[in-house]
Amino acid sequence: MTMVKQFFKNFFLVELLKGLRVTGGQLISKKITVQYPDEKTPKSPRFRGLHALRRYANGEERCIACKLCEAVCPALAITIDSTEREDGTRRTTRYDVDLFKCIYCGFCEEACPVDSIVLTDIHEFHFEEKGMNVIDKVKLLEIGDKYERDIASARHKDAPYR
Amino acid sequence: MATIEIDGKSLEVENGTMIIKAADEAGIYIPRFCYHEKLSIAANCRMCMVDIEKAPKPMPACATPVADGMKISTLSERAVEAQKGTMEFLLINHPLDCPICDQGGECPLQDQALGYGKDVSRFTEKKRVVEDKDIGPLIATAMTRCIHCTRCVRFGQEVAGIMEMGGTGRGEHMEITTFLGGSIDSEVSGNMIDLCPVGALTSKPYRYSARSWELQNHDAVSPHDCVGANLHIQTLRNEVKRIVPRDNSAVNECWISDRDRFGYEAVNSPERLTQPMLKSGDHWEVTDWKTAFSKVVQGLQTEINSAGPEGVAALISPLATNEEGYLFQKLLRSMDCDNIDHRLRQVDFLADSQQNLYSGAELPLEKLSTISSVLLVGSNIRKEQPLLGLKLRAASLGGSKIYAINSLDYHFNFKLDGALIVEPSTVPAALAGVALDVSRIVGTDLPEQFSAWAQLGGNRDVYSDIAEVLVADSAESLIILGDSCRQHPHYSVILAISNWIREVCGVKRIDLHEANGVGLTQNGCVPKNSENNALNLVSNPRSAYLLYGLDCVEDSIYGNVLEDSLKKANFVVSFSAFKSESMNHADVVLPITPYTECSGHFTNVEGMTQRSNAAALPRGEARPGWKVLRVLANQLSLSGFDFVDLNDVNSEMENTISEKPFEYPHDIEITLPDKHNGQDSNKLFHRIMDVPIYRVDPLVRRATALQKTADNSIRPIAGLNVEQAREFTLRDGTLMNVVTPEGNGISIQVQADNRVPVNCIYIPAGYIETAPLGVATHLTLEEV
Repeated sequence: MTMVKQFFKNFFLVELLKGLRVTGGQLISKKITVQYPDEKTPKSPRFRGLHALRRYANGEERCIACKLCEAVCPALAITIDSTEREDGTRRTTRYDVDLFKCIYCGFCEEACPVDSIVLTDIHEFHFEEKGMNVIDKVKLLEIGDKYERDIASARHKDAPYR
Repeated sequence: MATIEIDGKSLEVENGTMIIKAADEAGIYIPRFCYHEKLSIAANCRMCMVDIEKAPKPMPACATPVADGMKISTLSERAVEAQKGTMEFLLINHPLDCPICDQGGECPLQDQALGYGKDVSRFTEKKRVVEDKDIGPLIATAMTRCIHCTRCVRFGQEVAGIMEMGGTGRGEHMEITTFLGGSIDSEVSGNMIDLCPVGALTSKPYRYSARSWELQNHDAVSPHDCVGANLHIQTLRNEVKRIVPRDNSAVNECWISDRDRFGYEAVNSPERLTQPMLKSGDHWEVTDWKTAFSKVVQGLQTEINSAGPEGVAALISPLATNEEGYLFQKLLRSMDCDNIDHRLRQVDFLADSQQNLYSGAELPLEKLSTISSVLLVGSNIRKEQPLLGLKLRAASLGGSKIYAINSLDYHFNFKLDGALIVEPSTVPAALAGVALDVSRIVGTDLPEQFSAWAQLGGNRDVYSDIAEVLVADSAESLIILGDSCRQHPHYSVILAISNWIREVCGVKRIDLHEANGVGLTQNGCVPKNSENNALNLVSNPRSAYLLYGLDCVEDSIYGNVLEDSLKKANFVVSFSAFKSESMNHADVVLPITPYTECSGHFTNVEGMTQRSNAAALPRGEARPGWKVLRVLANQLSLSGFDFVDLNDVNSEMENTISEKPFEYPHDIEITLPDKHNGQDSNKLFHRIMDVPIYRVDPLVRRATALQKTADNSIRPIAGLNVEQAREFTLRDGTLMNVVTPEGNGISIQVQADNRVPVNCIYIPAGYIETAPLGVATHLTLEEV
């Protein structure tokens, strides 16, 4: 009996038609494919991408060289040297992040008492030369300056859940 | 003995012990801020509250003595509630700036706030803000952080002996400050940084440069004085960031001097020598080790061939480790040359031939704080050996009698029961005066040559006081010979007289050395034939000189003569960690490392040999001295230098040092000074000389923060007796010409100095500016 059933199933291409029904359904349904890089999917405000150092609204850098990020970093990706600036405040003279070592865990951001080091939602970056994987303080502040509005709005959106 | 119970643990403790001490010894933790083992009890932080059975309320463990049958709980609800309450009060005004505070990570308040603090403050009123004080170049302040534990105040009052910090105001208006806002000038002030349980007092040179958790500790020993204080050198990424004390009850307890603590700045200074260099014409050329060594070998062999091994002279800094000293002298002696010495601040070597050069401290240093009487001869012990000064202060507080025979009326941090302030040439005479009285008391005749000296002395009353005290409890009495004795033109006389006193009445004696002088003496860095002593090597020019770790002008009291001899020499090699003036006279400069980058042993004045470990890798091409000497010896084809590591050198050294008994002669031929009164004409002044605390060695001279302290002046300042200063119209910064009988003169700023006796002028050594005066004992003074 099962053999007969099988014969008719094969003869009338039932399985194929079942498959084609799914295909046909998808043919007319709304597409979810995104035309990257022209189009992009939305990202969570908690997305952990490229690092940045932020400034206060008056232009003063936030980082106070407390070195908590350096201490908490599980991959030892952060290197900081600190000193007393001329005005007597505690500042970094060097803030290096090795992007090859970094595992984008976001602990540095969690540890920072002044919201200085942050992980932005930038994930599209590449290096063309050896050594470019280490980004320094100047670069980090530049990134922070450039994307401050995005960074601030992401923190604002996430604030109620913290 | 009392039987008490703490947290259910039964303990037997001495009656009168405070609960906190009993708990510490039993390993039971009680939180505290103001209590410190080495300081008096203040009981003002209230953090150590414990619950005592039958007591109506919690009691402070630091100020409650034990009683038999006492049952104490440190963990009961009442105790913990009291501790938490105290913590809440302490945190009311304490700023939340841990991320920028240098104490962060090693802060008792931070740690205890984690255990006893609340996460939310109930305090909504206005917070207190206190202005920061500028208290000198060594200590940074953030007085809002202060919790008024008064540890710094008590340290100054009790341990350091000068009350520099104090509390003003009451309650919320209380402030810890220096009197009249002055700076802290104690030579051990850095210990306040360690004592401060919060970040109110932190190290200024270290400020903001690292965090405590990322530093690596290295066990080292201080080379700056003959105490051998135990240190932790802390490094970050191969750079020395700071130095903190390492507890050793036999040596430094938990204190170190500022010299030990801040001397490291020199190591990171731009003056470090990092490449071997050759002189070509009048400029220096950087070279590699191979070329430098071949140049040295060639130069030495040429000079030995022409002038013989006697034509080579080797002078070594007393800061060198035992290993460096041993290899240096072995290298010289392998070339049949005995011309080696480290005593560049000694003039009289007469006693050399008749004694074992290291007399040894005849008692352990820790005994110093319980000694019953002390006679200081020619010593500013407070500045020469700051940690021994602290021990003498402790002894003085405990009731010991301290006397001094000095040329300058030094301000000590302990009370003097009597002082003889005499012109320098009369110091041996004053000591002979004491000996005369000792002889009278014990009924032994004073040898004739000493009695001749004794006639030259002055005030008889003080002599008999000193003699009586020394003899009364002679086993617990001590004579300390300081740096001024060593620099004295009649050092041998002082040695001989003090030795006679020692032998007839059994007092102990300590002959203080410079830095690692004891280690270098034991390891052969003194000539076997006394004729080859440092002064002779310097004043009879040799054709080749090897200088080890020296800034030749500042590190010797006859630096001017040394400089002339170096100019006349055909070949000079300088082993140095720093670029210096003496480089100008050298032909080859080999970069060696300071003690932070070189392992080795130091021997303190007690004879205790301690290992010091390298804390960082050598900078640039510089190498530890013992390696340089080893390779140089190999290059010179000398045998017996096949050491692989430091332990090899060490085991050979141990087999070489023989324990000789302490022998001091009394038959040194003593000649009376020609002009003991000195006062030939009205204008002839006795020169009083000492080396100021921050001019003693190449490291401290390059430590920038120490150079800015009140104990140091960048340019030397001469001091004149107050009465005599009036004869000259002295204003601030008055320059005067000081001229030696030979006609060498300098012009120097002179000020009235109440420490200086009549007919004397105090001119410090250790400066390039005062070097032309050499060891002249008499000077004329002319107005510019």
